[in-house]
Amino acid sequence: MSIDTTLQQIYDLPLSASIRESVNAFPLLESLHVVGLAVVFGTILIVDLRLVGVASHRREASRLIRELLPYTWIAFVLAVLTGIGMFMSNALSYAANTYFLLKMVALMVAGLNMAWFHSTAYRRISEWDETLPPPRAARFAGFTSLLTWMVVIFLGRWIGFTLEMVW
Amino acid sequence: MSMTSFSDWLYATQFSTALRETTWVIPNLQTIHIIAIAVVIGSAIATELRMAGIFATDRPLPDVLHRYLPWMKWALVVLLLTGALLVIAEPGRTLNNTLFWIKMALVAGASLVTLRARRSLVLATAGGSSAITVPEASRGLSWLMLLVWCAIIFCGRFIAYA
Repeated sequence: MSIDTTLQQIYDLPLSASIRESVNAFPLLESLHVVGLAVVFGTILIVDLRLVGVASHRREASRLIRELLPYTWIAFVLAVLTGIGMFMSNALSYAANTYFLLKMVALMVAGLNMAWFHSTAYRRISEWDETLPPPRAARFAGFTSLLTWMVVIFLGRWIGFTLEMVW
Repeated sequence: MSMTSFSDWLYATQFSTALRETTWVIPNLQTIHIIAIAVVIGSAIATELRMAGIFATDRPLPDVLHRYLPWMKWALVVLLLTGALLVIAEPGRTLNNTLFWIKMALVAGASLVTLRARRSLVLATAGGSSAITVPEASRGLSWLMLLVWCAIIFCGRFIAYA
């Protein structure tokens, strides 16, 4: 199988081996991953709550989104990089783990939801920028985002309890 | 009673055994714990960076604090409860662990600054003085607070490996 060959090649990379064999690398990656995801979910939560209709520290939704998004993206990059590091160390195990695969699906759902929001309600944000509660489409996107990211965290935590190591 | 004998006693209790042996309990408690961590971190970023003078500087400080401090308080309560259950489930790996106690000290310090010092800034303005400004000198404290919250996350993750 070509996928298994690729996964084996990732597993065999010197970087993967050093993460696997180091005592501190994995917990370090995990800690940075938690810092990253906490900033991602923490800042998204502020935006999502505003979209759902909870008043925030400013009234204009567009400005709230713009001032928080840079933090979300930087932290997301950190979470992805550390996530890749953990994946590399045991690529075959992760690829065979149901929770990991479901987590990737959940991340895609979160991305699609964001894309959908940006191509619909966000385009007309000037019409509802200071309106509380926001229109139904924005509330729906906010609620879906909240739920999806919590599912991502749930699935992520379960990976650690179900991963079967391939040595 | 020493900490070791206390944790041995706790480990042997029915409640601890039940938590530990019900497979879904610990992962789900940890999931709730992480979601609450995200609430604390998100709120800390908004409030501390506001006080550091780089976030939402056009908004009055009390408004920003007022928005996030209650969330922080309740998230800390959730963290305390889920954390306590995790300790009861696995007392040996926590109570006999230096990193765990360092984490508790940092949590106590950071919570105290957040829920007392930061809150007092909201209360001060409720009394009438509307234009509250944060002294330049306290900006370092804001960065320190963010650093401490990150250090707490590191301690939490490393407890499992110590």
